Amino acid sequence: MNATTPNRRRLLRTAAAVVLGSLSVASLAACSSGSGSSSGGEASGSAEISFWGWVPGLEDLVDQWNEENPDVQVDFHRMTGDDGQKVEAAVDAGAGPDLVQLSTHDLPDYVISDRVQDITEFVSDEEGNYTAASWASVSFDGKVYGIPQGIGPSGMMYREDILAQYGIPVPTTWDEYLEAARALHAANPELYIANMSPTEFGQWVQEVSQAEGSWYSIEDGAWTVGIDDEKSRAIAERWQTLLDEGLVTTEQMWTPEYWALVNAGTIATISYAAWFPSQLALNAEETSGKWRVAPMPVNAGSSNQGDSGGAAVVVLAGAKDPGAAAEFAAWLNGADETQETLITVGGLFPSTTNGLASDALLQESEFYGGQVVNEVFIEAAENTPATWTEGPNFGTATTALTDEFSTVVNGEQTFVQALEKAQKAVVDDLKSRGLSVNE
Amino acid sequence: MTAARVSPSRRRFSGAGRRVAPYVFIAPFVVLFLAFLVAPIVIAVVNSLFATRSSGLGFGGSETVFAGVDNYVVAFADSDFLTSFGRVLLFGIVQVPVMMMIAAGLALMFDSALVRGRRFFQFAVFLPYAVPGVIAALLWGFLYQPSVSPIVQGLRAIGLDADFLAPGTVLWSIANVATWSVTGINMIILFAALQTVPREMYEAARLDGAGELRIALGVKLPMIAPAILLTTLSSVIGTLQLFNEPQVMQTVTSNISSDYTPNMAIYAASTLAKNPNLASAMAVILGVATLIVSVIILRINNRATRTATDGLH
Repeated sequence: MNATTPNRRRLLRTAAAVVLGSLSVASLAACSSGSGSSSGGEASGSAEISFWGWVPGLEDLVDQWNEENPDVQVDFHRMTGDDGQKVEAAVDAGAGPDLVQLSTHDLPDYVISDRVQDITEFVSDEEGNYTAASWASVSFDGKVYGIPQGIGPSGMMYREDILAQYGIPVPTTWDEYLEAARALHAANPELYIANMSPTEFGQWVQEVSQAEGSWYSIEDGAWTVGIDDEKSRAIAERWQTLLDEGLVTTEQMWTPEYWALVNAGTIATISYAAWFPSQLALNAEETSGKWRVAPMPVNAGSSNQGDSGGAAVVVLAGAKDPGAAAEFAAWLNGADETQETLITVGGLFPSTTNGLASDALLQESEFYGGQVVNEVFIEAAENTPATWTEGPNFGTATTALTDEFSTVVNGEQTFVQALEKAQKAVVDDLKSRGLSVNE
Repeated sequence: MTAARVSPSRRRFSGAGRRVAPYVFIAPFVVLFLAFLVAPIVIAVVNSLFATRSSGLGFGGSETVFAGVDNYVVAFADSDFLTSFGRVLLFGIVQVPVMMMIAAGLALMFDSALVRGRRFFQFAVFLPYAVPGVIAALLWGFLYQPSVSPIVQGLRAIGLDADFLAPGTVLWSIANVATWSVTGINMIILFAALQTVPREMYEAARLDGAGELRIALGVKLPMIAPAILLTTLSSVIGTLQLFNEPQVMQTVTSNISSDYTPNMAIYAASTLAKNPNLASAMAVILGVATLIVSVIILRINNRATRTATDGLH
């Protein structure tokens, strides 16, 4: 026994080490599999369509459709948590839904990897009902890949009481914004004009869009990456000044810590999209009646507003009856009868002409002192330049940018340096995918 | 020693049955082992050698091409990915010994006759292990955030301004969550090992004039060395694969980057950057790194055991 035990034990230990060491490899393989779309022929007259989405109130609309359209029955699944990240794997495995709600930022990647279907033939006559910018966000290379569902025009929520108390006029330009920031912090060192959340890329995107910039553009059949362009650098310098002078807090948005700052009245303004006012009302109940909405400050000599991005309903690769799926999507987002529910229950800011004309949009809000806040956002939507272009590897761009910004707010580097690094990460990634990139 | 117990039924497994029976018994293990361990590893290795390539703007679709070691080159050129290894290594060098010392100390205490209410305290120490890692991280996340944390507010009340989520401290805040979670299970394993040590050895030591402390350090710990090695090894591997705690705590602080640990970097590559091939290569690298660290620990231990044994002769 003495002779064999040590050897046997060593063998067992080594075996254990091999097994345990390889677990990390094993856990990953499940994540990756070749992409391929399943296609089956279902030629019967009635269709069943599965639809994943997150907008509140979709259940009611789906019920309404199912009642009116016995031939095309829709099965709705409410997306929660990280369901959005499961969609791609589900599509690749041939187990995805027929329709899914998607951020338009992510759409190019879906197109490039063949995870969505071209639905141009089914929906081209819908174009007239949608804003030009939203229709452009679902069109690539002359083909339509989805039906827009809501956009995110910008506005500035501000604490009317705080600005009034310190005699600071509501800033209308970014130059005035900097002055207001200095005046406010000088009057009361506990107060800050804004919170610069390093992880909330939507706030950054809306200012890039306002400045007529774009992270991606197409020139001579190749992608140009503009994360680090002149327009973005100007925004970087604006926030660098605010940061260096200690005029902003840098909490991560959506955390209890962030809402504590908001509720305590530490932050005087929040610039964000049209869907944000209802979130603010939900998370800062104590401050009801103290907020108002004004246009986001503009750049000198311009009246541009920005947009942080919209959503779309797209037909996924595995859908057996893309025509029926597209028909439902077009009804859901564009029919006259659905607009009110999408706006009031769903909290969407419409990308449709009939939605923008809907009375449902012009409700007074008690939280904002009786203001009709959407009047601001309707004007913002009209003043949003059409320069922003969606491009591939948006996930790489946001990951790189938020990682770099997190070290900026710690003082380890500047916003400009962060943009340089994010630009490089995105360009390298595009090249490694074999895409043509202008440099 | 179990042979005696099964011998009455041995008759049934005669002839062909006797040859087949062992395979039937190990079949469930082998099938699961092949399906959920070997096959995924093979798939990961194969995936890591391919890449998805498009051309032009990419709207013409994409194809999977053989990429050789390209993905490995990209992974090794990614300084943030390499930094994440350094980070978990630093984490492991501090967290694993601290946790093992606490676990061993508690096991020895519970094993001695010193503790009253042993069952209660054992249960209390073990309980955090029953809390899923994600829940534990959420829970501690709240305890780390100044505006909602009684700990931070309590420290402030006595004049200490603690920031558990600052760039320099957040790693150790994660270490605290990990230690809180896994000390219990390691304590139980070591405690169970202590129960198998023949009590006569303690008696012999006592007759030789050893006190309780001397017995604990000189007899008990060496006797449970294999259990200590096992728990240390699995802790080191757990450290290299750190994911749940930092991933969850990322939602409350921006000081944890998307590639804070190797596993988070793999997740970021596969899910956020949508490059499962690169992620496969990174996973293979992590697997090999884990294997190397495990083998090093085993070597060190074997040498230590051999030296100790030589010393006896």
